[in-house]
Amino acid sequence: MSLKLTTQAYCKMLLHAAKYPHCAVNGLLVAEKHKKKDSPRDSVLCVDCVPLFHGALALAPMLEVALTLKSRLIRPGNIFPVFNCPILIDAWCKENKYVIAGYYQANERIKEARPNQVAEKVAARISENFSEAAMIMWKCREPSTDCFEDWIEAQKITAALLESKSYESLVDFDNHLDDLRNDWTNPEINKSVLHLC
Amino acid sequence: MMKIKMRDKLRKWREENFRNSEQIVDVGEELINEHASKLGDDIWIIYEQVMIAALDCSRDDLAWSCLQELKRQFPDSHRVKRLAGMRLEALERYEDANKLYDSILQDDPTNTAARKRKISILRAQGKSSEAIRELNEYLEQFVGDQEAWHELSELYINEHDYAKAAFCLEELMMTNPHNHLYCEQYGEVKYTQGGLENLELARKYFAQALKLNNRNMRALFGLYMSASHVAASPKVSAKVKKDNVKYAAWAASQISRAYQVRRVREENVKCSAHGITKAVYTVAMVHNVNIIHL
Repeated sequence: MSLKLTTQAYCKMLLHAAKYPHCAVNGLLVAEKHKKKDSPRDSVLCVDCVPLFHGALALAPMLEVALTLKSRLIRPGNIFPVFNCPILIDAWCKENKYVIAGYYQANERIKEARPNQVAEKVAARISENFSEAAMIMWKCREPSTDCFEDWIEAQKITAALLESKSYESLVDFDNHLDDLRNDWTNPEINKSVLHLC
Repeated sequence: MMKIKMRDKLRKWREENFRNSEQIVDVGEELINEHASKLGDDIWIIYEQVMIAALDCSRDDLAWSCLQELKRQFPDSHRVKRLAGMRLEALERYEDANKLYDSILQDDPTNTAARKRKISILRAQGKSSEAIRELNEYLEQFVGDQEAWHELSELYINEHDYAKAAFCLEELMMTNPHNHLYCEQYGEVKYTQGGLENLELARKYFAQALKLNNRNMRALFGLYMSASHVAASPKVSAKVKKDNVKYAAWAASQISRAYQVRRVREENVKCSAHGITKAVYTVAMVHNVNIIHL
């Protein structure tokens, strides 16, 4: 069972790390929902990523908001209130027929690439809903080209985006919490990636 | 005019302690290269600011030239020596940097900047327990250093020692009772610690953060999450459950409203001029206001 990343997923992960070189960063990877529920996949293609946080990754509340908060419907007897927030991650996944398939983390110190408690907890949580979940820990070495849908294209486009400092406009969930108008789906960067393809 | 704008930008970033190093290097380098002679005494603090930003961006060439200017102007300064030490840190020459800082401390044992740099070296080397130990010793002496308390809370959070992180934030809240960010972060730490008592405390501090700043979204989400968890706990009385459901419902409605306002604002931006004029007239009619044509 192999993991593959599209150029868009890889670029946004990299831009997230490039925007906050002095912080630890983390985020989620999403894959398209498999049509046949029972047959296992032979490879998982992560088509996009959701940059989550930078700085203190080891605090629970906002991570729970990102991972678990669902737009619940009012049902009789349901004591929990409804959320009219189509912009939450869960709702976005449903709308696009995505499933959360993985997690990435880049630690504060580039030499420290072991998954920590946070990474393991999140990965465990994700694999509750997706058995073939993957965890990506950033190291300061060249990644293996097997995990890219198109390594040459990914390299070329990433270089172009870094050159043009596109990371300055990358929005993560933290930025979204600072100002709700910041869109963590990063449509402008998605457009740039598509444009460069 | 350009020069004044650039100088003002640098001052603003300096005063607000932004770490936008690439921008500082861009603006600062141009200012230094083109207008150094016209900056007066401001030039020295600008050299310092640009040098530190240059280290952040791996621009050792720029850092070195700023350092030379500062060394020439202030040959025996401890402040400049500390900058030289920071450059060595950036080059990962930690032993040499430590020697420099030790020589400053030998001359002046109360030099807080040098002590803090030594602690930063421990952090950079991944020696978290030692960094924590040294920082605790430092704070015994310099108990009012808020930057240090915050740094210590971060170190404890990274080590998952939430009780001690909470203690640091308590110190910060005592001296900054109106700072909504500390309240909110304290709520997050308590929430992460878990357990019914901590969740209830977290909820209270999220509420306090909101009282201090009603636009703090993290506090709003935190209030919703903590109230929901308390309401769902099997250990609470019916009254506590009812109260917390109420709090969670209130928070949820505020969150929904915040997103709705955001969506309306986005749609308004796309309005045509005609649309906006129409809207103004409509509002004016509703409020019986005379529109004075300009």
